[in-house]
Amino acid sequence: MAALIEILNASFQYHPQHAEPIQALSNINLTIQSGEFIAIIGANGSGKSTLGKLLNALLIPDSGVVQIHGMNTRDPGNHAAIRAQIGMIFQKPQDQIVATTVEEDTAFGPGNLGLPSNEIRDRVAFALSASGLTTYRSRPSYLLSAGETQRLALAGVLAMQPVCLIFDETTAMLDPAGREMVIEQAKALHRQGTTILFITHLMEEAAQAERVIVLDKGKIVMDGSPRQVFNQNIEEIGLEKPTALAASRMLRPFIPSLPDDILTKEDLFNHIPHYEGNQSAPSQARKQTAPVQSNITAKNLSYTYMLGTPLEHQALNDLSISIGSGSMHGLIGATGSGKSTLLQHFNGLLRAQSGTLSVFGMDLNYRKLDTRSLRQRVGLSFQQPENQIFNQYVGDEVAYAARQLGHSGTLANAVKSAMEAVGLDFSVYKDRLTYTLSGGELRKTALASALVTKPDILLLDEPLAGLDPLSRKEVMEFLNCMHDAGLTLVFSTHQFDGIIGEMDAISVLQSGKDITHGTPTNIFSTKDSKLPDALRPPFATELCTVLKENGWPVPAGIVQLSVVIEMVSKIKKRAHT
Amino acid sequence: MSQFEYLRSVSIGQYLPLDSLTHRLDPGAKIVGFSLLIIAISIANNLYSLALALLVSAILIAASRIPFSFAVRGLLPPLPFLVLIATLQLVITPHPETSAAIFGVWRINIYSEGILAALKLLLRFASLLLILTTLSSSLSTIEMINGLDLLLKPLQQIGVPTDNAVLLVQLTLRFIPFLALNAEKIAKSQASRGAKWDTPNGKLINRIQQIIPLVIPLFITSLRQAENLSTAMLARGFGSSTARTSMHTYRFTLRDGVFLLFLLFTSAGILFLF
Repeated sequence: MAALIEILNASFQYHPQHAEPIQALSNINLTIQSGEFIAIIGANGSGKSTLGKLLNALLIPDSGVVQIHGMNTRDPGNHAAIRAQIGMIFQKPQDQIVATTVEEDTAFGPGNLGLPSNEIRDRVAFALSASGLTTYRSRPSYLLSAGETQRLALAGVLAMQPVCLIFDETTAMLDPAGREMVIEQAKALHRQGTTILFITHLMEEAAQAERVIVLDKGKIVMDGSPRQVFNQNIEEIGLEKPTALAASRMLRPFIPSLPDDILTKEDLFNHIPHYEGNQSAPSQARKQTAPVQSNITAKNLSYTYMLGTPLEHQALNDLSISIGSGSMHGLIGATGSGKSTLLQHFNGLLRAQSGTLSVFGMDLNYRKLDTRSLRQRVGLSFQQPENQIFNQYVGDEVAYAARQLGHSGTLANAVKSAMEAVGLDFSVYKDRLTYTLSGGELRKTALASALVTKPDILLLDEPLAGLDPLSRKEVMEFLNCMHDAGLTLVFSTHQFDGIIGEMDAISVLQSGKDITHGTPTNIFSTKDSKLPDALRPPFATELCTVLKENGWPVPAGIVQLSVVIEMVSKIKKRAHT
Repeated sequence: MSQFEYLRSVSIGQYLPLDSLTHRLDPGAKIVGFSLLIIAISIANNLYSLALALLVSAILIAASRIPFSFAVRGLLPPLPFLVLIATLQLVITPHPETSAAIFGVWRINIYSEGILAALKLLLRFASLLLILTTLSSSLSTIEMINGLDLLLKPLQQIGVPTDNAVLLVQLTLRFIPFLALNAEKIAKSQASRGAKWDTPNGKLINRIQQIIPLVIPLFITSLRQAENLSTAMLARGFGSSTARTSMHTYRFTLRDGVFLLFLLFTSAGILFLF
């Protein structure tokens, strides 16, 4: 029997108008057997999504051959059979919802396969419960949150019961519990014999696969077990090692008994040895936080979308929050917990339906509020950069706010300094067409265009989502830089591991309420802290818990990996003297 | 309240998952019945007929359990344009030489024919919009696909590619809420960066000036989205086999027959009663 997927010397080029053709894939050779679990990783724009689309005949290679069970994708007569076998979940969940209700959208695929009605109903019920959407079945599909939409996209493909399932960065917009759900779902399907191709930017997810394929500039540069791949120097092509592997490398000088092939968190935690030395905790340099004046104060905010229609749903529910001047304030919470709605209140886009809100002492409920002078001081960047960029050229996009609201010095200088602050070279990027930008470049353009008026507050909705490791690192550096420069930063994020050490405060939202807030240390140090189910503590905190359980006297409330390593080294050095 | 919740003032194209008489009807019967009514209203040329049409749309809204405020709110966005066209009708409708002007404003004389034409235009559009709102609120996209499939079957059998027609209708309806949401995102993004979107007391000319920088990016994002959506539909097997099925089995019942007859008689009434 032929292999499930066979790619022979396939190449593919995109031909954008008024621009050079883009070589997305060149000379790919790849064989995938039934039942494999494969992760595909690579920087933004390395050709991962294109590869996925070649496999279910959405794209036909310019040269070379793609065969599914021996069926050539070049023959349109094979497409029905190929698409029934290869399911694909795309990057942007909202663009793949076809029908107006959750239930009917799930039924769309099976209906196209021509299945009998009762079979479709069974499959819909199965797919909805597997993706946790049973209670949403009659909700309008276009009013779901980003995470819920992602689940619906999964349900729609699960209902087709394909033999091979391609996840194209499906987890990018999800909260930690949602991500775990997707990867658990993928593993469960794999155990039942489904072939899984998991395209991802998160190395922790890739480490859980059986085989990892690494793409760089349209070529397969590595192909092997996670162990083989992550032992190589993947930082060179903008990737990084899984956190657990990086942590075990840092711990090994102090805990030599750790094996050198650790890939996952569970692996690392199971190998932490017992410690029986001096039980007093080493001293820890604590970050001193002086009380600061707050420049955003909200009391009892409530907001309901579609108010007065049969589709109304509440996003904020009696929420109070105060954000200190110059602080870096994180908003965390499950998808749909009200983070985006809250951020849009802070620059007056949404007006509180009840409650009070003041920013820089301005009353945002005041009907004749001077929104333009407010917005000059409060910049906002939205969740999906591609939906907020509306100019053809990067330079114009960044200049927009400066043209509207004024700027210091010449316009060119204002644009230049904003672009350089986010790491976009002015002379290279100012004349680039916005639709040719990669995910990371789009994000940076969006950040620069919020920064150009030199605001005092930057509001950022999920600035780290959907980025490859290198861009993620660059955006985090940018955030730190702005923080050091004294800006007040308020951002929502699901991926706070790399930046939590810099945050001054965190508010945890659930169902439109602020259920707890405080410094990261406070929030994650108490064991019985009321974190919503959707959230996970940072990796460093989990590692500390495991160390403690094994008798290591590490202090409580550590959120940064570097601090854990420092503590372990201190404990070990003390034992030697 | 936010002036950026465009979706709130769009009532056409939003399916409301309610439990009502109209919601439970056979999709084929619903499409045929409403189409008859729409044709009748488009052709009717009598003030009383159009008043009857407005009454029928009110009855249908009630039978679908759609809140009146929701349906009527959908009339507000196109109202300025309707008023503009109605005013033109008022002025330019031809009148017999013999008829006397009812009153004159400045140098323009208003005749009864003009008033009648303007009234008919407003009534016609109001009832058409309300009927389309009722249809799209009570007919989900899948019902629409299945209903059209059924109705177009004869054409398909003689080799007409009906799938494309169904796809076209489906994408058009699907995109009304999409357009509202996209416009909302772009307007919010422009307003965040200083565009005068929410300055109160904007004059008509200012509002039109605001719309231009919105329309072009709206077209671009929507076209990109349409491309993504059709890719996703293809990936989920749309169009690769002809035997499309549905999770619901539809049966044409007595209730559907009564409903169809009711709309048939009303349509005939609108056309021939007066």
